[in-house]
Amino acid sequence: MLHASKRLTCLGLAAVLSACATTGEGGGHTEVVAPVVDPPSRPDAPLLLLAMPPSADFQDVRRAIVTEVKKNFNISTFMVTAGTTPADLAQAIARTTPACLVLMNNATVALYREYQNTHRNDKMPPAVVVMTSFLEELRGSLKNTTGIAYEVPGVTAFVDLRSVIRAPVRRVGVVYRPRFRAFIDRQKKLAAREQIDLVAAEVGKEVDGQGLRAALHTLLVNEKVDVLWMLNDNELIKNAQFLDDTWRAEISGARVPLVVGVPNLVDPRTPLGSFAVVPDHEALGLQTANLIFDLEESGWHADEHDVELPLSVKTVADLKQLRDTFGLKEDALRHIDRALE
Amino acid sequence: MRVYPQHAAFKQIPRSTEKCPSRTVTPLARSRRLAPVHVGIFLVAWAWLGAARAQEGRPTLYVFLQLDVKPSVLEQTLQKQLPGMAVTVFGRFRDFQDVVATKRPDAILAIPPLLDLDHTKPTLQGAKGGKEWEAYVLVSAGGSTQPTSLSGKTVGVVDLLGHDGTQAFAVSLLKTSDIKVKRVAKIEDLLPLLEFSAADAIVLPGAVVKRLTERTRLPLAVREIPGARVGLPAVAVLKPTIRDTVVRSLQGLDAETKNMLGIDNWSAR
Repeated sequence: MLHASKRLTCLGLAAVLSACATTGEGGGHTEVVAPVVDPPSRPDAPLLLLAMPPSADFQDVRRAIVTEVKKNFNISTFMVTAGTTPADLAQAIARTTPACLVLMNNATVALYREYQNTHRNDKMPPAVVVMTSFLEELRGSLKNTTGIAYEVPGVTAFVDLRSVIRAPVRRVGVVYRPRFRAFIDRQKKLAAREQIDLVAAEVGKEVDGQGLRAALHTLLVNEKVDVLWMLNDNELIKNAQFLDDTWRAEISGARVPLVVGVPNLVDPRTPLGSFAVVPDHEALGLQTANLIFDLEESGWHADEHDVELPLSVKTVADLKQLRDTFGLKEDALRHIDRALE
Repeated sequence: MRVYPQHAAFKQIPRSTEKCPSRTVTPLARSRRLAPVHVGIFLVAWAWLGAARAQEGRPTLYVFLQLDVKPSVLEQTLQKQLPGMAVTVFGRFRDFQDVVATKRPDAILAIPPLLDLDHTKPTLQGAKGGKEWEAYVLVSAGGSTQPTSLSGKTVGVVDLLGHDGTQAFAVSLLKTSDIKVKRVAKIEDLLPLLEFSAADAIVLPGAVVKRLTERTRLPLAVREIPGARVGLPAVAVLKPTIRDTVVRSLQGLDAETKNMLGIDNWSAR
């Protein structure tokens, strides 16, 4: 068996991190899939302009949106690649005059922001943003825009974990950097509704192994948390060696489940993450379609619609770890999307 | 069954940096060395084709039910119990609808309102405790008090019948059209609506309330909706020639599987 750090290198951790919610890419596959074909357009139907990268996760969301709205809207898909300029997006908007825009990922949102900046006097069509990190924070810089946050709320993960293991899930520890403070505050409030204390330990803007280990140690030993939650933050994960030297080193022997936001950190052969909770992209498409219908019914005032939290997730569990160390509830397997052992 | 989509970033990258000893390989030596590989590929292909043919020959049963169990688990369980049928369980209404429209199955297992949508009549009707229907309940967060009126409220419901159909379904259950219906893809997605205060209440089958209350620490108020009765899972056979086979197979499900479906018996129609 390969050493854990080598195995994780094979998994392309650098690429993993580039797709995590904190990188500005908002997730998504890196491979490009077949070109999309929009449904035949119908006269008089309003048009949705979908601006998105061509990779698979985005296409999963697109497919669900199209399936839901195709009876009510015409669809025009505008593929955003590394070479796309704000002028290209402007052309697409001018050509299609959409009733509503759907923007997927941070790069697309950045293009749209530039479009808004160069068309300050124009009336902006409503925009729905999905699969983009830090949407709550981004939204302030965009006119007539709403959307669905991409980060899975901690409470969703904790409740899902609590429903499958026997060990208590009352106090959850999380390490975060200052830029995540507002996010963590929101997570604390949501977790409290489910009677879960989110115990947060702040580290510096730039994280070193020693600082991270100290924070984890405090959470595990002083705060006696039941569970640890690893945020999708490059600085907290960095690379496989860093994971070995920090997370794995502190967790080994602690008998505390680690909740992660990326599935490949759950691997029974090199145990680290116990339970991964990730967005369900097809369900996200349904939620996006619902949001579009809501906006249409309310006169397309996107800026009056709060950013929604993602409702649907998929779970991946290291079954061996959960069963052997934390005890599985009787019907646990019925409620896990992907059980690994 | 759809496989869980891996994040692209987690796909294995080729281990191109691994050092391999280099040596000259003649075409003959290469073909000899590869011979077992070719045989292996042939055998795998043969087995795959055989399995595909076997699958093709069996009657197809498409299932769409919103139960408190993952579709993959339900599919596995049903397939084990129904080896003579090719079972596909759908987790989402649209997936089910799209596939049914393009590949007509031999039989469908769903709740009666969905069969009505497709103008099909049940051949077998599920029952529990002698009743062929179950009561739907209204659940809200906030303890024993529920909104006195649903007028203008947002109500969460699982997408059983698409945008318009689910809206109509919720309106008929709640007997008011002055509600905003929020559809979710799966039954477990209803709880986040309450956790995030994204809905004032949710509507769900009474049978899944127990699981809901086990999952959450939110103080919930649960009340039965007067007259909100929805038929239990039923089977429609679309290919008359296999009616008896389907009926016999489904009636042979064990008690645990029937329980998973929320029924304890079938009655033939």
